[in-house]
Amino acid sequence: MTGAANVVLQSGLLPEGLNVSFKLVPAILVLSMLLLFLAIGFVFRVADTENMWVAGRSIGNVENGMAIGANWMSAASYLGMAALIALSGFYGLAFVVGWTTGYFILLIFMAAQLRRFGKYTAPDFVGDRFNSDAARAIAAITTFLIGFVYAIGQARGMGLVGLYIFGDIGLPGLSGYQSMVVFMMAITVGYLTLSGMLGATKNMAVQYTILIIAFIAGLYVVGFTGGYSTVLPQIEYGMLISELGSEFSEPFVSGSYYLWIATCFSLIVGTCGLPHVLVRFYTVESERTARWSTVWGLFFICLLYWSAPAFAAFGTDLYGANVGEVYGDPGMSSAAGDVIVVLAAQLAELPQWFVGLIAAGGIAAAIATVAGLFIAGSSAISHDIYTNIINPDATQRQQILVGRLSIIALGVLTTLAALDPAAPIAALVSYAFSLAGSVLFPMFFLGMWWENTNRQGALAGMTTGLVIWFIPMINEVVPNYLGGVEGPFSAALSQWVPAIGSALIAVPIVFAITIAVSAATDEPPMETKRVVRQCHSPEPMTQQQTAEDVVTDGGETPADD
Amino acid sequence: MTDNNSHDSTDNRTATDGGVAGQPGQSHRDTDYLSAEVNLLNPSTPFMRDHLRIVWTGFVIWFVIVFGPVTLTRLAPGVMTTQLPVIGFPLHYFLVATVAPTGALILSFWYSRKRDALDAKYGIDHQTTEETGRSGGDAAATDGGERTDGGVDE
Repeated sequence: MTGAANVVLQSGLLPEGLNVSFKLVPAILVLSMLLLFLAIGFVFRVADTENMWVAGRSIGNVENGMAIGANWMSAASYLGMAALIALSGFYGLAFVVGWTTGYFILLIFMAAQLRRFGKYTAPDFVGDRFNSDAARAIAAITTFLIGFVYAIGQARGMGLVGLYIFGDIGLPGLSGYQSMVVFMMAITVGYLTLSGMLGATKNMAVQYTILIIAFIAGLYVVGFTGGYSTVLPQIEYGMLISELGSEFSEPFVSGSYYLWIATCFSLIVGTCGLPHVLVRFYTVESERTARWSTVWGLFFICLLYWSAPAFAAFGTDLYGANVGEVYGDPGMSSAAGDVIVVLAAQLAELPQWFVGLIAAGGIAAAIATVAGLFIAGSSAISHDIYTNIINPDATQRQQILVGRLSIIALGVLTTLAALDPAAPIAALVSYAFSLAGSVLFPMFFLGMWWENTNRQGALAGMTTGLVIWFIPMINEVVPNYLGGVEGPFSAALSQWVPAIGSALIAVPIVFAITIAVSAATDEPPMETKRVVRQCHSPEPMTQQQTAEDVVTDGGETPADD
Repeated sequence: MTDNNSHDSTDNRTATDGGVAGQPGQSHRDTDYLSAEVNLLNPSTPFMRDHLRIVWTGFVIWFVIVFGPVTLTRLAPGVMTTQLPVIGFPLHYFLVATVAPTGALILSFWYSRKRDALDAKYGIDHQTTEETGRSGGDAAATDGGERTDGGVDE
């Protein structure tokens, strides 16, 4: 209780109950972890584009599975999901389901085909499949936008958790939370500009290990010391649910059935459209690896997702016992919710170094994802816009320079937006999922599974998707950044097209428009159709081949070149 | 584990194929994939027909696992929120928080196994390609050699 009182006053974004002060051992832990990432990034540093974007297409099953896991499990999984489950109960489970089950759709419809297509980036696919630089540019801008929106949530997570470890470092003119956001983002960007995708992939396996150990060890220890659980907290928290207040488990109290479905659907299609997820399939050695690494990836993800609701349950109970009422007014703030994982460990009176370990896991999660996002975003700018559209003669040196500059630009933009974020971590992240699901998912899906999808259809579809995504964003999210405007401009609109789940409306419309326009205009060229067919052919391909290589020259020179 | 539940030909025939001789292996050799239309709703090659049967089966099960429990909870909240014996969960909470992610994981595993079995049935061997692919770029030729008649005509 005493800890709660003095921090609440400092700023709206300081989580109540969290012990904000500089702590030596956790600080050493986090700094050595960051140094380790930098060292790995340095050892595997790259100077050519093939390695920077797709890690030489050399990554194997388990390693890619771990990279999928680390890349995927951001602050939104590590911190934000437990927060939503704690604060909005059953509605929060839409995130658990959406963020896991989407991988099955990715696996059956897209993973292997993407590997066979075998280009460098997500916009590459769109540009080459639809033979259009305009489509490529829209996809690249979308990718950049996704990186930006998604990373705001990560920056918020790093800032909040960093407070526990470093306290208020007090950069002039900024609050404690804001200083920490700037500090953490500077470190992330520094590390990313040194290493590219290869360093990032190697790092991701390490980051996954750190974050999963921290999370699961945290859960076991909190469960054990709190007397909640012994060997299987992921199941044992069930006994606790009836004691947590009806808000924790009663269906549809903090989100309607429609909102639940809309959110879950958006997260599923978003999973299948996120460029930093899709690009993981370009880095593997073969299409079979693409499939099995998805299974591994989902398993690694499930380890955390089975555990997060348990962590939320323990945290909610501890918060109720030690800090104050969880539900009702005033209730737990969204900032406290976003650190509930760290808070639970602190309130269970675990040793400081151990709480620091859990906090470090959160930071590893955020950094791993920001790395993936920024690589995807910067490759969209440097590879897809700069090299393919603006300066086709660009040297590798120039490309890498532009790539690094765009990482820095993304870092600065994200930091600025995260200084006063509009929503909790998981909600911020889900905006990016709605965007990916509305704009990129239909292009990948139709582009891969219906060979007659053409340029005009893709352009019409992507534009529609972008517009449908922007409408609820302006309606609901923009008011948060404007002084004096309360809530959504239109309540009815936000009920039926919620920013958090707008893909439920957008995806069917984008599909319909893309199909209708494609059907009404000329079929795509035979060459393009053959590339699509090659993506589905079961005939094995070699490691460095793309579908286009096979279609243009692979067939006619048997065995003698 | 999950792989012999009624799923027709794939399991039975893996034994007999031995790569080249079997009927599916033969049809694979005879198929020119670059001339066969890709359409999700209308598969044009025997391989894709078999593959899509697996894909759609998985998809239907997936759909029920993901959206079934929450929809039932909407329709029959009383039944769905009953507390489970022993583990203490309300039924809907358990189905959504634990069964759905686990179900997707099992389905993914099942699909990848099925797909590997399908490759075996059609005599497709990824292993050699992976290995030669790793050793260097020349491998493109060996692989290209296998295609021979595929897609020459342009």
